[in-house]
Amino acid sequence: MYLALKEMRRARVRFGLLAGAVGLLVYLILFQQAISTGLIDQFIGALKNQSADVLVYNAQARRNLEGSIVLPEQSAAIAEVEGVAVAAPLGEGTFTVVAGDPDADEQDAVIFGYQLGGPGEPTTLTAGRLPERTGEAVASSRNAADGFDVGDTVTVVPNAGGTATSFTVVGLAEEINYSVAPTLFTDFVGYDAARRAVNPDATDVLPSVVAVHVAEGADPAEVAEAITAAVDGTEALTRQQAVDESPGVSAVRQSFSVILLLFYLVAPLVTGLFFLIVTFQKAGALTLLRAIGAPAGLLVRSLVVQVAAVVVSGAAVAVGLFWLTTRTVIGSISVPFDLGAIGFTVGLVLVLALVTSLAAIRRVLRIEPIAATTGAGVHL
Amino acid sequence: MTTPPADTVADTAPAAGPAALELADVRKVYGAGDTEIVAVDHATLRVGDGEIVALLGPSGSGKTTLLSIAGGLLSATQGRVVVGGEDITGHSAAELTDFRRSKVGFVFQSVNLVPFLTAEENLLVVSELSGARGGARKQAKARAKELLGELGLAHRAGNLPAQLSGGERQRVAIGRALFNGPALVLFDEPTSALDTKIGEQVMELIQAEMRSRHTAAVIVTHDTRMTHYADRTVRIVDGVLGAEPVEGDLAAH
Amino acid sequence: MGLATTELRRRPGRFAVATVVLTFFSLLLLLLGGLLDGLFLGSTGAIRAQDADVIVYSSTARDSFLRSRLGSDVRAEVEAVPGVADVGGLGFTLLGATVPGENELADVAVAGYELPPTGVPEPPPAGHAWADRRLEDAGVSIGDTLLVGPSATPIVVDGWVEDTNYLQQGALWTTLDTWRTVQNANRPDAFVPDGVVQVLVVRGDGDLAASIDAATGSTSTLSVDDAVYALPGVASQQSTFNAIIFATLAVVLAVVALFFSLLTLERTGLYGVLKAIGASTARLFGGVVLQAVVVALVAFVAGGLLAWAADAALPGGIPLQLTVSRYVFTFVALIAAAVLGSAVSLRRVTRIDPASAIGSAA
Ligand SMILES: Nc1ncnc2c1ncn2[C@@H]1O[C@H](COP(=O)(O)OP(=O)(O)O)[C@@H](O)[C@H]1O
Ligand SMILES: [Mg+2]
Repeated sequence: MYLALKEMRRARVRFGLLAGAVGLLVYLILFQQAISTGLIDQFIGALKNQSADVLVYNAQARRNLEGSIVLPEQSAAIAEVEGVAVAAPLGEGTFTVVAGDPDADEQDAVIFGYQLGGPGEPTTLTAGRLPERTGEAVASSRNAADGFDVGDTVTVVPNAGGTATSFTVVGLAEEINYSVAPTLFTDFVGYDAARRAVNPDATDVLPSVVAVHVAEGADPAEVAEAITAAVDGTEALTRQQAVDESPGVSAVRQSFSVILLLFYLVAPLVTGLFFLIVTFQKAGALTLLRAIGAPAGLLVRSLVVQVAAVVVSGAAVAVGLFWLTTRTVIGSISVPFDLGAIGFTVGLVLVLALVTSLAAIRRVLRIEPIAATTGAGVHL
Repeated sequence: MTTPPADTVADTAPAAGPAALELADVRKVYGAGDTEIVAVDHATLRVGDGEIVALLGPSGSGKTTLLSIAGGLLSATQGRVVVGGEDITGHSAAELTDFRRSKVGFVFQSVNLVPFLTAEENLLVVSELSGARGGARKQAKARAKELLGELGLAHRAGNLPAQLSGGERQRVAIGRALFNGPALVLFDEPTSALDTKIGEQVMELIQAEMRSRHTAAVIVTHDTRMTHYADRTVRIVDGVLGAEPVEGDLAAH
Repeated sequence: MGLATTELRRRPGRFAVATVVLTFFSLLLLLLGGLLDGLFLGSTGAIRAQDADVIVYSSTARDSFLRSRLGSDVRAEVEAVPGVADVGGLGFTLLGATVPGENELADVAVAGYELPPTGVPEPPPAGHAWADRRLEDAGVSIGDTLLVGPSATPIVVDGWVEDTNYLQQGALWTTLDTWRTVQNANRPDAFVPDGVVQVLVVRGDGDLAASIDAATGSTSTLSVDDAVYALPGVASQQSTFNAIIFATLAVVLAVVALFFSLLTLERTGLYGVLKAIGASTARLFGGVVLQAVVVALVAFVAGGLLAWAADAALPGGIPLQLTVSRYVFTFVALIAAAVLGSAVSLRRVTRIDPASAIGSAA
């Protein structure tokens, strides 16, 4: 401890730079992890936290809700597939709305229309109740303050020739956003009205997907396969598949995992190499200490203390910065301050830093106290 | 200045009475087979309590090797090594580490100080290595201050080695070697990097410190001008300890 | 300086650590930048390509193409605004398309247009399209008939255009009528009557946006640049990625400073001697900077090659796009970080006392 701390005090700039670099790297890791999960949750939370076991898309839609419509004959055929208990329409669209105060600015909102009591209803209600009749809606709790709180009225702004249609928020549910917009779940009739408000020329409002409850005991994955096979031009996905295979989600996930992997490599690499160089540079002092009776274990412990001190102080800076970040909203993504994830990241970086410091530790262990008598290759 | 005692012959047989160092028939062989080098051969040496012995020999004669064996830095190939009553002949590496920390003091030829520690801290590191805490730590601090004062370095206590002159550095090293109160201090050419005048001052200081503490010392040198600071001079040539007296000692007769 | 380069040549190992670490960072910067560029370019090509001054949306659309609807009445009002030279309709539909001989559907954006965007010829005949070359990756070839959307509306590919994609989907440039046919066959819920378009692209002079919005009272007009950033996600993507890239550059700065201060520390004695024999601080420091720049250069080349290899190895779902300007940016940023980072050593080099060379054998 004594040696480790004294040395760090005498070389503040160097250790400070290292801790700063590690801190920023840990911060970047935390930040990117948070936005990738935040982004994914806020892109497809609505799919994750609704009750349908299986969602049936139009095959042409490439698993994109926005691009999917299910034709009436397909809907009818889906209901007939073995293992399907309930099949009901689920519509999705992005609309321009005025929420809360009627004089408020217009904003975007996503509206899901489902069959009340059927598959596709939100599962994470935190306030109020689920809609019971046309004109009622559950809103994403994240946007309560933006005019989507219980009791607020949300009005869809019509296009020329259309009629305005309104919803009263009767409940809030957690993590039900879609496409990072405020999100409402209402009944399909209300959704139909919203569609026609902006497309007065619409001939027919079709469901975006068909939401399915599977029969008791049936395996959603098997039912999904059966639907895809039985109904031409459809692709049925389990809830989890719909989440994981949403367009963009897997690309975002893969992109971030490549970047995060590099960050996770670089932070310990910088630490390990720094300590390796420093250990080489002070080989003379270490040899002397061994010669005057310092056990090798003590010198190794000193090194480990320094690695830990650097990572922990860097991580403290990182967590502080990250906490400040979570107070603000990045673009339209809010970043969660998740202590578990932070602890995991800091722990992982610490372990990796210790692993990369093994080279330096090996160097310490290889020091021969006898070399103090020759001073070979050693300088003050 | 102390006059060397009359008996300047290296005793080949350990005498009776307390001894700071006893080497009995010590042999050190480096390498094996064709490349085998006998660095020290059948060396027997006894250094009495409080005695200062100069070990004189040309470069490559085995002085450092002998010193390293005496200090537990190196194990002898053969023979017995007893320091301050502790037989270290069969000690393991860990036991030797403990031994070096508590029983002997070293002043090496080149690197003697930890560059990132101040003069005072370079002394304190000895007690820190022994795990001093609380009260012991306070005591150690007081002792370090006192010792640095004695060595004429009170005003340099807070300086890093790089800020000290060569003579000052060597004095700090002496303080470090004395800090654990050893029965035996081993000096490997302590003045080789210093000019003559500073070298003599350092030797005087060594002599005075050893005398005042009644601490035994072995001082390795290849410089005959330094031997008169010792009670006795032992010669070494090609790893063999010699009994012939040196010129300076003859003159004293 | 001669000394600095000689040291680089004779003792490359001494610089290996800094080079390896910086190589990782240059790879990281290129991948981050490449991802940003891929997301940006792939989302915005169709808009950036517009050879126009402003884009007119219906005011209820909140600057969204897909939700905007403008009829012929509004178009007439816009055409009458003083300063307006040319007006063209534009509309997009995002769909999947069946490619002959391929199992996987291709993501397409069917675009109906009148005024040709940069690099796009005059509108092809009805039922035909100019395809973005990105669709080549999905197996499309010239002459193919793509079956677009659930209703399998056929579109024949007549030729390639470049960098015109819309929201990561490969653009198919068709006449407005063909676009309406596709939209109405496949999205009956978003029916577009004859004469209606999503937006109008306008060429002309003067403060077009203000005068058009004043004249119609029902439109929201943006410059083409603003329209690019009004696309969903584009602005926040840019700011988030740029924040990450610049924070990474700050780390690079710290890392260069760190490793070069270690190198300088190692050379304290040498510098003392060199100063004693007459080398100036400026000369010695210049050598440190030069070495940092060379290390950054080598790291950039190595990182660039790795990024190029990563681009080839990564699965197609990742929208990585390595552009020349991204390479240039990364190069300049790394060199700047090397120069600034090595400046930390200036203090140490300055402080070295030539007198220390004398009488310090230890
Ligand atoms: N580690 C070693 N391996 C092989 N030979 C050594 C080693 N150390 C010392 N020697 C040899 O042992 C002999 C004595 O060396 P040393 O004790 O260092 O002499 P001195 O200190 O008197 O100059 C020399 O010939 C030297 O080359
Ligand atoms: Mg020697």
